[in-house]
Amino acid sequence: MSEYLEFQGISKAYPGVQALSDISFRAEAGRVLALLGENGAGKSTLLKILSGDIRPDAGGIVISGEEMSFPTPRDAILAGVSVIYQERQLVPLLSVMENIFPGALPKTALGIDKNRLRAEAKAVIGKFGLPIDPDEPVGRLSVAYQQMVEIMKAYTRNSRIIAFDEPTAPLTDTETDILFRLIGDLKAEGKIIIYVSHRMAEIFKITDDVVVLKDGKFVKAMRTQDTDERALIQAMVGRDIGDTYSNLSRNEEYGDVLLEVRGLCTDALDDVSFSLRRGEVLGLAGLVGAGRTEVVRAIFGADAIEAGEIIFEGKQVRFTEPRDAIRAGIALCPEDRKEQGLILSRSVRENVTMPVLSKLKKGLFNMFLDRDAENRLTQEVIDQFTIRTPSINKIARELSGGNQQKVILGRWTNEKVSTKLLILDEPTKGIDVATKAEIYQMVCDFAKAGFAVIFISSELTEVINVSDRIIVMHNGHITGEVMRQEATEENVLALAMLD
Amino acid sequence: MNVQAVKRVLKSKKALLLLITVVVIAAFYFVNPNYLSMDSIRGTMQRMSITGIMALGIACLFISGGIDLASSSECLFGGVVCGLLIKSGIPWGWAVAATLAVGGVIGALNAFLALKIGLMPFISTIAISSVLQGINLGVTNAQNIPIPNPTFAWGSRNLFGILPIPFVIMIVLIIVYEYVLKRTQFGRNMYIVGGNVYAARLSGLNPDRILTVLYINNAVVSTLAGIVLASRMQSASPLSMSDSQMDAITAAILGGIAFYGGGGDMSGCLIGILLLNFFSSGLNMLALESYWTTIASGLLLIIALMFDYLNERAAQRALKVKTTARAAAPGEAK
Repeated sequence: MSEYLEFQGISKAYPGVQALSDISFRAEAGRVLALLGENGAGKSTLLKILSGDIRPDAGGIVISGEEMSFPTPRDAILAGVSVIYQERQLVPLLSVMENIFPGALPKTALGIDKNRLRAEAKAVIGKFGLPIDPDEPVGRLSVAYQQMVEIMKAYTRNSRIIAFDEPTAPLTDTETDILFRLIGDLKAEGKIIIYVSHRMAEIFKITDDVVVLKDGKFVKAMRTQDTDERALIQAMVGRDIGDTYSNLSRNEEYGDVLLEVRGLCTDALDDVSFSLRRGEVLGLAGLVGAGRTEVVRAIFGADAIEAGEIIFEGKQVRFTEPRDAIRAGIALCPEDRKEQGLILSRSVRENVTMPVLSKLKKGLFNMFLDRDAENRLTQEVIDQFTIRTPSINKIARELSGGNQQKVILGRWTNEKVSTKLLILDEPTKGIDVATKAEIYQMVCDFAKAGFAVIFISSELTEVINVSDRIIVMHNGHITGEVMRQEATEENVLALAMLD
Repeated sequence: MNVQAVKRVLKSKKALLLLITVVVIAAFYFVNPNYLSMDSIRGTMQRMSITGIMALGIACLFISGGIDLASSSECLFGGVVCGLLIKSGIPWGWAVAATLAVGGVIGALNAFLALKIGLMPFISTIAISSVLQGINLGVTNAQNIPIPNPTFAWGSRNLFGILPIPFVIMIVLIIVYEYVLKRTQFGRNMYIVGGNVYAARLSGLNPDRILTVLYINNAVVSTLAGIVLASRMQSASPLSMSDSQMDAITAAILGGIAFYGGGGDMSGCLIGILLLNFFSSGLNMLALESYWTTIASGLLLIIALMFDYLNERAAQRALKVKTTARAAAPGEAK
């Protein structure tokens, strides 16, 4: 009998939320099962239960007829379960080979047998056909190869079950292809594979079965070939969201040129030039590492500039600190909203008003904060962006990803800030489908309100459909410029891979 | 709305801490009614003022994600410098001002090492502490310096004959700091920098400037504590008081100041100071050997942290029960 993994009536509650209720389904060996759902649907919680990271309140896991209980992650690993999270579980300073065989290092009388270790690592790396040096410290590998190391680690543990949590989120398209090839190999060996992703195209490309969760409940399970994108999205959001992009209400009128970049060079950029008008949404496309984030960081004063000119509002500028850029009217919503954008431990109010506090003061010498004005402003932002929070004093950590992103958008576009250029770096990363659509419309609304917008995204479909004009980058320089009307995933991707 | 607010206060950690403080005081009072005599209370107030004043500076640094482990050396250094200046004939007011300025320089040095050079303040301030303590011992020959100046003895007097002056100084500082924290942009920025220094910079704040001010503030406040101590004792002692460093940190953390930054306030800090000091003076009253006080204050911190943990867990469980019930009976959700 072939192997299988079965979840039986899994339930788990967290304070304030029933993360999972009575989830049951089965994954078969030699097949890839997609676990789909919006953010907060419970996918990550389920994976954490599978990996022994947390324990369910009720229900159990059965592997090939055997009832399992995983009080600790170690128990799950011993039972043949490997979960590959977005956050790497590797030791950056140790070499690839040491990371592949943690805790199972071959030894001689004098200690670790480096030669055997290297040989074994080489064998595994060769089996997957990867150009990785076993002696390289893992921290120096690209994100994609680090992920490959994780997969090899799971492989050498003889895992029967390998689960991936949004593995392609940080990967470029070429890297994604390598990953899919690896997953194909694992599948051919009869592994049970669980695959969590937000990206529809991938689901249809590599998975055999789909399970859809919504709000912690099981919605449906089916063969991938028997369904389509629209039906899946409908199952995920519980309604038909239609064609997101064609329904966008866009800005039609541009103003004067706000930003002009000429021959910008930094240690990651080479001769980057472009211009941007008020009211225009400029997309920056390219593979991960192409230099998109580096362009905006250089403009924003977060990275040092080696050569080139930046002309903002007709004046040549060169900012050395973000605060100078902000004063001039440039706002950056950074790529990693939790690490670089939000103050997670502070309230929605404090997160919204932080750059404009000097305009919210009163009293003797204007010394004191005007709480009423602050509350009013925050409430306006909450209303305008439909931020779902019970109170303006809610701690930012407790909001969902989409609402956190809206808090940051509100921080930089409210009536008190003097933003003219709004830079959005991966604003929809890790955000559910419905909220993504809301954010696309917000981007168009910002343009209508007269902001110039730079929109960076790793999702090709998104960047070519939301932007008015798309600049494609590769390896630190611009390889092409395409208007939305002419842009297709094929021609943009071709430019992104151009040398 | 007010009922809601009252409920929230009652459930807060601060309320729990205050309750513990009251229970501790009541327990010692029960053992010995003299514990709450005017003299005894005044003595406790006197003692808490020094570590209390130090705790305030530390708390501000903690809130913004900084740390200064040289506080007790700065305190002693302040006493010694002030004492020597007064002995050399300088009017005490000028001596105090000069000493505070010296404190400012030490704080600026701490800030320079931590922020400009980029050393880990956890270690670099210990190094500074060692240097200061060495100087203390050197310039005093490890002897107490008597300060024969009756006008400088304000630290041993009482305001309106009731409240010890050091205690009044501490309370005034608490009020000022609480106001700065809660009502000014600088205070707000302290929380933001402590919560996420990187996001703060990308949002246009200048974290280094804020932390520099707080390092200087901490060293000035610590030297102030040393001056107050010298004034109260009418002598400056160069001898180690590493316990007071520990006590100041304990009081701040007991009072809910987040060690890793981003949380806490001065009213909590005050409760922490009160709890720690009424507890240890109670132990003193029992005439136990002094090491028991040291052991007990360590245990007290652990117990307080445990209470905090249990309280948090109970709250989470209550929340969980509520949501599970709501999930089971969705029709009744409001």
